[in-house]
Amino acid sequence: MPHETASVAAVKRVAYSRDWAAWALGAGVVLMTAVFLVYPLGNAMLLAFVKNGEAPSWTSMTLANFARFFTAASYQRALWNSVYSGLAATLLATAIALPMAYAVARIEMPYRGLISAMTVVPLISPPFIGAYAWIILLGKNGTITQWIHGLTGWTLPTIYGPPGVVLALALSYFPYVFLIVQGALAAADPHIEEAARMAGASRARILRTVTAPLVFPAIAAAMLIVFIKAIGDFGVPSILGGEFQVLPTLIYYQIHGYFNLNASSAIAMVNVLLTLVAMLALAWINRHWNFVTVGGTSRAAARHASRGARAFGNLYCWLVIFVAILPQLVIALASFAGRWPGTMLPEAYTLDHYRSVWSQLTNPIVNSLILSGVATAVCIVFGTVTAYASARDRLRARWALDLTIMLPFVLPGLVVGVAYLTAFNSGPLVLTGTAIILVLAYFTRRVAFVFRSVAAAIAQIDPKLEDASTICGAGWGATMRRVMVPLAAPAILAGAILVFSTLIGEISATVLLYSAKWKTISIAIYELVLGDQLAQASAIGTITTVMTLLLVLLASRLAGKNMAELFR
Amino acid sequence: MAHAALSVRNLTKQFAVGQSMVAAVDDVSFDVRGGEFFTMLGPSGCGKTTTLRVIAGLEQATSGSIDVDGRDFMTVPPQRRNIGMVFQSYALFPHLTIFENVAYGLRLRALPADEIRRRVAATLSLLQLEPYASRHPAALSGGQQQRVSIARALVYEPTMLLLDEPLANLDAKLRVMMREEIRSLQRRLGITTLYVTHDQEEATAVSDRLAVFDRGRLIQLGAPEDIYARPQTLFVADFIGRANFLPVRLSIAGSPASGVTLRNGATLRPGREVRLEGAEAATLASADDAMLMIRPEHLALDAAEGTIACRVLRIQLLGGLIRYTVQTDASPADILVEVTRTLRGIDEGGGAFLRIPPADAVLYHR
Repeated sequence: MPHETASVAAVKRVAYSRDWAAWALGAGVVLMTAVFLVYPLGNAMLLAFVKNGEAPSWTSMTLANFARFFTAASYQRALWNSVYSGLAATLLATAIALPMAYAVARIEMPYRGLISAMTVVPLISPPFIGAYAWIILLGKNGTITQWIHGLTGWTLPTIYGPPGVVLALALSYFPYVFLIVQGALAAADPHIEEAARMAGASRARILRTVTAPLVFPAIAAAMLIVFIKAIGDFGVPSILGGEFQVLPTLIYYQIHGYFNLNASSAIAMVNVLLTLVAMLALAWINRHWNFVTVGGTSRAAARHASRGARAFGNLYCWLVIFVAILPQLVIALASFAGRWPGTMLPEAYTLDHYRSVWSQLTNPIVNSLILSGVATAVCIVFGTVTAYASARDRLRARWALDLTIMLPFVLPGLVVGVAYLTAFNSGPLVLTGTAIILVLAYFTRRVAFVFRSVAAAIAQIDPKLEDASTICGAGWGATMRRVMVPLAAPAILAGAILVFSTLIGEISATVLLYSAKWKTISIAIYELVLGDQLAQASAIGTITTVMTLLLVLLASRLAGKNMAELFR
Repeated sequence: MAHAALSVRNLTKQFAVGQSMVAAVDDVSFDVRGGEFFTMLGPSGCGKTTTLRVIAGLEQATSGSIDVDGRDFMTVPPQRRNIGMVFQSYALFPHLTIFENVAYGLRLRALPADEIRRRVAATLSLLQLEPYASRHPAALSGGQQQRVSIARALVYEPTMLLLDEPLANLDAKLRVMMREEIRSLQRRLGITTLYVTHDQEEATAVSDRLAVFDRGRLIQLGAPEDIYARPQTLFVADFIGRANFLPVRLSIAGSPASGVTLRNGATLRPGREVRLEGAEAATLASADDAMLMIRPEHLALDAAEGTIACRVLRIQLLGGLIRYTVQTDASPADILVEVTRTLRGIDEGGGAFLRIPPADAVLYHR
């Protein structure tokens, strides 16, 4: 047999393991990651260490921008205010959400699913839309302010400043605590609590000594997420803050007031530092406090069924939900209000505001749709390819890929805006003022939605399906087209809809990157609010909220989950 | 072209484990004749599945060669090797109907639609799957899914059929039934078949030839009855069928032909002797230590007399067999005796005598 000529030593390296299609796609992804993810963030980091007006180089590095945190009172106040409002909002959000999570998970109540679904509404409405609802309610001429004054003669303290900011933030982000803690309670093995009951422990004691420690890691994780979101929020403090500056508004000031990219980069770094500390704490909790009590039974834990418990549960949950969606209801009401001089309900109703929106403000709506649409398309392609790479290939640098995608997602939008502004304001690629920079910033901030959704779906798909397809005669491209994409399609679509719907109301990055030609819905609302044209702002705001809600509903249907699960 | 002949030479596949390299497949060589049912058998982690996947092209070898009908297979991408493969988890496409699942390979070959319809119908009928053509995999039972998997692999008339533990997920009765179906199908089509399993009963029941693997190496190759009767190592003797091992001493050191002395003092002259090598040889302490192997069905029990006195620990009824587990001072482990009829006068807890026919005993020595 002619085997003497057969290769005995190293097998010839045959480049058939992945077709050219995969190589091209991979190269494109790496290029995009380098230019539009790594470069802006890296560049911003560099600029933070250089004085304004000087060219970045090794010799011009200085800590002068950071030194302002020790010398300038405004900087110190902003830092302290960020931490303070973040902590306060977190505590308030947790206090609101915990009893609700316990009620939904452990008390026999009707419409539990509906309650969970409705908690998603504050999450998907842009927070700043709710912020000015509070102005309508609790401002100087606000409805509630006037009502209480008429009733008791008291004048409520002003809504502007820390109380308003903390309240609005807490009501926007408490659903995260609710969803995560309720999920942990629902997943916990009921046998542990049952064992405690059989040993003679009272309900209260069980709650204190068994249930609470088990879900504490989930509570801690949820609190950290709320903190990260709160310190990165721009919309709420800019509308309700007044003199109360926080780091994101300080960044905005530095850019709009002085166009000092270096100073704003430095402030952004400090903001990122806070975020990173919180993220590290989150990662530590996930690693060391994983009390996964997955029991073999699918039976849920016992629920309180006493009339008192049920009364409390229903009352509390529906009250919280009412307060949480009150801003959206108020905005909707205001959009139809002809005259609303501070009475409980408007005195006259009209469609004028919608008519003026239709005639004057179609441009921002169309812009938002175009920009969000294109960004979503980029997210789909990029997110799906990287999700496949992350879920399938045994890359050693996978952690780097995951980090690159998740980092812009958790960073404050302002920071991403600053990074893009500094990176593409000068140098080889100038994109400021164009639509492209907005699309790319949007893509950076939201691709994680598609990435996470698709990676999870691909991880569920048996890798042998790809082997089977290959053996039957399919190259890599054909296998992707005929097997992987159809199977991951619901996840891709769900991720895409989440991206699109949350981009429509995006403000944090937009506010730094938009140009006169490319105003979006959020900028239009922002300008209307600042110009005190609240009725028209309400009209657009309502349209946005309703559109977003419908899209998220669609996404949850496609993904086969209920709305609450999409955000966990 | 279903009679492809396979030739594997010095196949090695190494993985990096921490700082070192581990050989999952270590210098394996064998030939498979055209139309043969060839099984790779061994415990988990022995390298049989890795070898199969390298032949399929789903993994790349570190070194060695694979030739099919004289052509170098290694340079051919897996999607162009024209082989069929059946997976343990069936790997059916959940979003396609049974018809589309089976048609998959034909659609990739860009055949005309009525040709595809004809061939899929023929293959479905071959595996009694016509009533399920428009259903989706989730609606079928495990056995039915397995048959779809086979149909998908065979529809484009591959040169070889590879099966990776196809029956492991089925219940016991179904497993026996399916292996007979696979065997008769293979005989009918005459397709060269490579089969991987850890179940030695399954392997011996269906294979033309068997390759026993252990820790990456091919230990013994041959027809099932040959391997059963003449196992070349202690591992193979223990893995195929059941084996009793009695530690013995050579009557004259270094001379296996002189016979052996058991621990209870009895002597006998075993019918066959096998020379051990390597790690197994090292388990024997000195030059005159050896191991006697005898199959349970070759042993006999007598109430009154025999080679070794023993105590009966258990009597088990196993379908058509009765298994006696006895304890002796000739061996540290319990000894199994299998007979087809209950023995009179021998009860659980009682004493008896073991009779060892010397001709059926195999001596393993250094």
